[in-house]
Amino acid sequence: MATLRPTHRPLACWKSALRQARIQKHQQRALWGLSTPETSAAPDVPPPPPPVEEARPSSESPASVPPPLPIYIPSAKVAQFHLPGCRTTLPGVVKPAHEMKRMRFVVAPPNPKKTCPDPVKAVEDAQLQLLDPTGARRRLFDKSNIEAAKVGDILLVRFRPGSGQSDQFAGVCINIRRRGVDSAILLRGQLTRVGVEMWVKLFSPNVEGIEVVQRKEKRARRARLYYMRQPKHDAGSVENLVRQYQRRSQALGTGAKGRDGNSHRKKNNKKGRK
Amino acid sequence: MIQLKTLVNCIDNSGAAIVECVKVMRMKRHARIGDRIIVVVQKQRNFGPESAGGGGAVSISNKVRRGDIRHAVVVRTVKKYQRADGSVVKFDDNACVLVNKGGDPIGTRFNGVVGSELRDKKWSKILSLAPMHV
Repeated sequence: MATLRPTHRPLACWKSALRQARIQKHQQRALWGLSTPETSAAPDVPPPPPPVEEARPSSESPASVPPPLPIYIPSAKVAQFHLPGCRTTLPGVVKPAHEMKRMRFVVAPPNPKKTCPDPVKAVEDAQLQLLDPTGARRRLFDKSNIEAAKVGDILLVRFRPGSGQSDQFAGVCINIRRRGVDSAILLRGQLTRVGVEMWVKLFSPNVEGIEVVQRKEKRARRARLYYMRQPKHDAGSVENLVRQYQRRSQALGTGAKGRDGNSHRKKNNKKGRK
Repeated sequence: MIQLKTLVNCIDNSGAAIVECVKVMRMKRHARIGDRIIVVVQKQRNFGPESAGGGGAVSISNKVRRGDIRHAVVVRTVKKYQRADGSVVKFDDNACVLVNKGGDPIGTRFNGVVGSELRDKKWSKILSLAPMHV
C-alpha cells in the first residue's frame, strides 16, 4: 500500500512542502521586527547568540550586558502575536498619521429580560384583565376558592345573543382545562335525548355568564369524568334541573342575568348547604 | 367522520332508520356536518304500533324503502369539530337526513338536535325543520 500512496495523493508531498514554507515565513516575520532594533539601538553590544532573547532587553535600555532572562525564552512566540506592541516601542516604526476619531457611544436599550422577565405572562394577565374585568369567572374556577365550580357540578353557560350560537348550554362539567386565558370546560348534556359534549372557553367574549346549577354532593375522585360517557354512568338530561334552578332564581329575584355564578355569594352558600 | 360503509342514523320521517354511506360527494375525505353523502337505506322505520302489528308491513307513509339509494346530509357526528370561537362540539351518534337531488329534505320533520354548521353550508331548509341546533 505504501507504494500506491503517491499515486493516490499526488499532492501530498506538495502539501507538506508548502506547510513547511508557511511555517518558515511566519518565523521570519516574527524575527523581522526584532532584527531592526538589534542593529539600531544596540550596535555596541556584542551580538547575542539568540536574537529572540535579545528582544526585551534592547527595548529597556542599551545596557552593556544583556542578561539572558529565562522568562523571556518563549518571547519569540509572544512577539509573533504582540508584534504591533513591540513595534510602537521601537524607533523607526511610524505611527498612524491621523488621530483616532472620538467614537460616539450609543447607550444600549434596556434589557427586555430585566424590564419584562415573563412577557407571555404579562400578555396573559392583560388579556384576563380585559376579558374578565371583575375577576368573577377567575374566582369561579380558582382552585383555592372553596366555592369554586368543580368537575361533576352541573353548569349553565349563557351565550351572548349575537354570537351565532344557541342561547345557553347546560351540562355536567366533566373536565376543566386550566390554561390561563385559554382555560376551558367540557360540558356534557343531552339535547333531544342525544348526548352532546361541548368545550367552552371560559374567557370567551361570547360567553355571557357561567352559573352553577347544582353541585356534586360528594367530591369527584377523578379530575376527568370521562366515564360519564358510558351509558351506565351517564347523567342523562339536566334540563329539568336547569329549569328548576331558573325558576328558583327568578323567584328569589336574584336575576341571574348578567351575573357569574360566584359573583353572588349568598345564593351559592344557600345552594351549597342543600 | 362518515365514510364508505359507515352506518348512520336517519332522523327524519322519510321512513329510513339506519342508512349506510356509500359515497361522500365532492370529497376524497370523510364527511362532516353539512356534507352531502349518498346512502343506502338499510333499515326502515316503523311508525307507531299499529303499523308494526301488520305482520312486518311497513307504513304507507314511508317515502323510502330498504335498499333505496338516496342523497343525505350529515347533521351530527361523533367526531368533534372545532368552531371559529374555540368551542368544540361532539355528539354521541352520527346522524343524517335524506334529501333529494335538488337538496330539499325528503322528510317533513326531524327529531333531534343538529349541528349549526349547517348554516355555514347553506342548509337552511334543514335547520328550519330541526327542533333545535347546537
